[in-house]
Amino acid sequence: MGDPLQGGDPIFIGGIDFGVVALVVLKVLIGFTFVMVGVIFMIWFERKLIADMQNRIGPNRAGKWGLLQTLADGIKLIFKEDLMPNKADRLVFRLAPYLTVAPAFLTFTIVPIGGLFGTGENGTIEVFGYRTFVQVADPPIGVLFLLAMSSVAVYGVMLAGWSSGSKYPLLGSVRASAQMVSYEAALGLSVVAVVLLTGSLSTHDIVSAQSGGFADWNIWRTGVVPFLVFCIAATAELNRPPFDLVEAEQELVGGFHTEYSSMRFGMFYLAEFMNTITMSAIIVTLFLGGPDGPSLFGPDIIWPTIWFMGKLFIFLFTFVWLRATLPRFRYDQLMDLGWKRLIPLSLAWLLVIGAIRIADDEGWNVALVIGISLASCVVGALALVGASRAGRIRRRAEEALR
Amino acid sequence: MVAQNIAFGVLAAATSLAAIRVVTTRNVVHAALYLVVVLASVGALYILLTAEFVAAVQILVYVGAIVVLLLFGVMLTKATLGEDDQLDNDQRWLGAVIALFLLGTLSFVLVDAFGDDKLPSLEGVSRATLEAQRGSGAVGDAIFSTFLVPFEVVSVLLLAALVGAIVLARRD
Amino acid sequence: MDNYLPLVVMLVLAVVFVFGSLVTTKFVAPSRPTVAKQDPYECGIVPSREAPQRFPVRFFLVAMIFIIFDIEIIFLYPWAVYHRELGAYGLIEMLMFSVAVLVSFLYLLSKGALDWGTVKKVSPLQPLRTSESSIRRVGLEGRPSRPSEVGAP
Repeated sequence: MGDPLQGGDPIFIGGIDFGVVALVVLKVLIGFTFVMVGVIFMIWFERKLIADMQNRIGPNRAGKWGLLQTLADGIKLIFKEDLMPNKADRLVFRLAPYLTVAPAFLTFTIVPIGGLFGTGENGTIEVFGYRTFVQVADPPIGVLFLLAMSSVAVYGVMLAGWSSGSKYPLLGSVRASAQMVSYEAALGLSVVAVVLLTGSLSTHDIVSAQSGGFADWNIWRTGVVPFLVFCIAATAELNRPPFDLVEAEQELVGGFHTEYSSMRFGMFYLAEFMNTITMSAIIVTLFLGGPDGPSLFGPDIIWPTIWFMGKLFIFLFTFVWLRATLPRFRYDQLMDLGWKRLIPLSLAWLLVIGAIRIADDEGWNVALVIGISLASCVVGALALVGASRAGRIRRRAEEALR
Repeated sequence: MVAQNIAFGVLAAATSLAAIRVVTTRNVVHAALYLVVVLASVGALYILLTAEFVAAVQILVYVGAIVVLLLFGVMLTKATLGEDDQLDNDQRWLGAVIALFLLGTLSFVLVDAFGDDKLPSLEGVSRATLEAQRGSGAVGDAIFSTFLVPFEVVSVLLLAALVGAIVLARRD
Repeated sequence: MDNYLPLVVMLVLAVVFVFGSLVTTKFVAPSRPTVAKQDPYECGIVPSREAPQRFPVRFFLVAMIFIIFDIEIIFLYPWAVYHRELGAYGLIEMLMFSVAVLVSFLYLLSKGALDWGTVKKVSPLQPLRTSESSIRRVGLEGRPSRPSEVGAP
């Protein structure tokens, strides 16, 4: 269905036959395996790295260097008793793990894992006679799909806490969902900057547009700000430290998953790390050019995947590093950051980028446009500060009158 | 075409059954979850109609924000888990009759208006054309030309909604 | 529309994976529920009947505000994809929209809807904070009310 040069996964040109379905299932299985192996690796890597940073050894019994520790933990969890609190809502209690795990897998499907972009192949590889993208799916609304899945992930957290039937998980889950919901706005706004530069919502097109080399990556082309905003918002969405107040072991036991045991808890644990890997992959795709990178030696076809995994690894390392290093945010600091700082910043930045691009097109004086936008940003910032201060003064005066 | 018909059949069945369960279940949170199924199926139906942007917006806003708000409200106020017999009033049968009457009227109107019209075939239509006709392209075009005034009015409407939200939630 | 087939397959696979793991647990794990195990967990203390505090309405407010900003973000996406074709005209329109968003944000800030509470300064006129006045002990069934009474005089 359609011109091969006009977009969409070329495997679907010419209708769907058994071969196409088989190849799709194969790609899905490969993606699934990638995520699962990644999770097993990531859990081990986090424990080992944190141990290293804390000057101790970490797991080293299960398998060489403790590599099989995650597998051992998973098997142990399967053998644990599955408790359901007597006041729990049984249907929703059982449903919550599905709502947490499914978005994690689904988001990974739109990430391009490999494929050469510069040499006219347009990111495809030839497999069994079919030409296909090296990503599981390429919906034309790729980026919006990502945001939609983040919104659905809130349900898993909310329903888990509520259905446990006790006060503390409910508190934990409401705070967690409020946190995730607050940072989704910042997430959405920072991605608009990338879409502005690409002119398309599909992840394949976004990676294509960055395939010109290091200077073409979106992290530089958008100014570094949307990248930073996205990283911070992603960390908060994932409930990773330093934004992990709602599942801080020292404070809330388990937060929303206190009452879950055995493999149901295992699913939440897995989903958290799956989401970490997926979000890192998305950051690499949106801002760092995905599989973009020079082919150094040997066959050309393996290098995009190697570059992709290398960049992914950098972000996984950074997430663990943040956990080992930074103290936790207080809840009000967290909400302040998400609402009062990230949202105005990303909105203003993307409008400035848009103005600069239009100015370029229309032949206006770009320096003048930049000057005007900076001036209006300053005015806007002053208005924001002034509004909050005026409001606070007025409220304090009203309190004093009572 | 067969796959699309099957998909449509499955989604239509899911939507109808979930919608019936929304009004007949006794547990508010279950009703909200069935509502999520209804809204998500409608989103999937939009995808079948190749209106992908609208589908994404449906999931993002309806499923991702509005029902979340509903659930927040229910969870923060209801003290008891489980069934609530006060959800139903005694007029189920009257309600069912009226619903059937509405179903009949709407079906008649729709069949009469559209009759044997078929959706345009998607054979040989490139993705870029589809995008421009029905995807974000069409929406962008429409917003900034035909529907410009409603678009700007929406921004003021959202301000009004915000004021209303703050008034609702003020400290009493 | 064909592009969504892999998504459906992945969804089915994810559901099957979770279902399979949970079913395995059901067959393999013991199931010996006792009263203590099925009570809600409260860090080991006996759950007492405290009066349920009213939930802060701020959470609900955050959800409402999120809906509004979500809708505004939705409008940004078609503009971002087509800003080149729309040119300066589209930019001006989007700027007007953003000004309206800014005004609503200013309103929110001035009303303090986004304030989650900062550390309040303790006024010097308030009574002294001692451990008697600022600590409330819970879960004290069967224990002396003050540590100083352990090991009676």
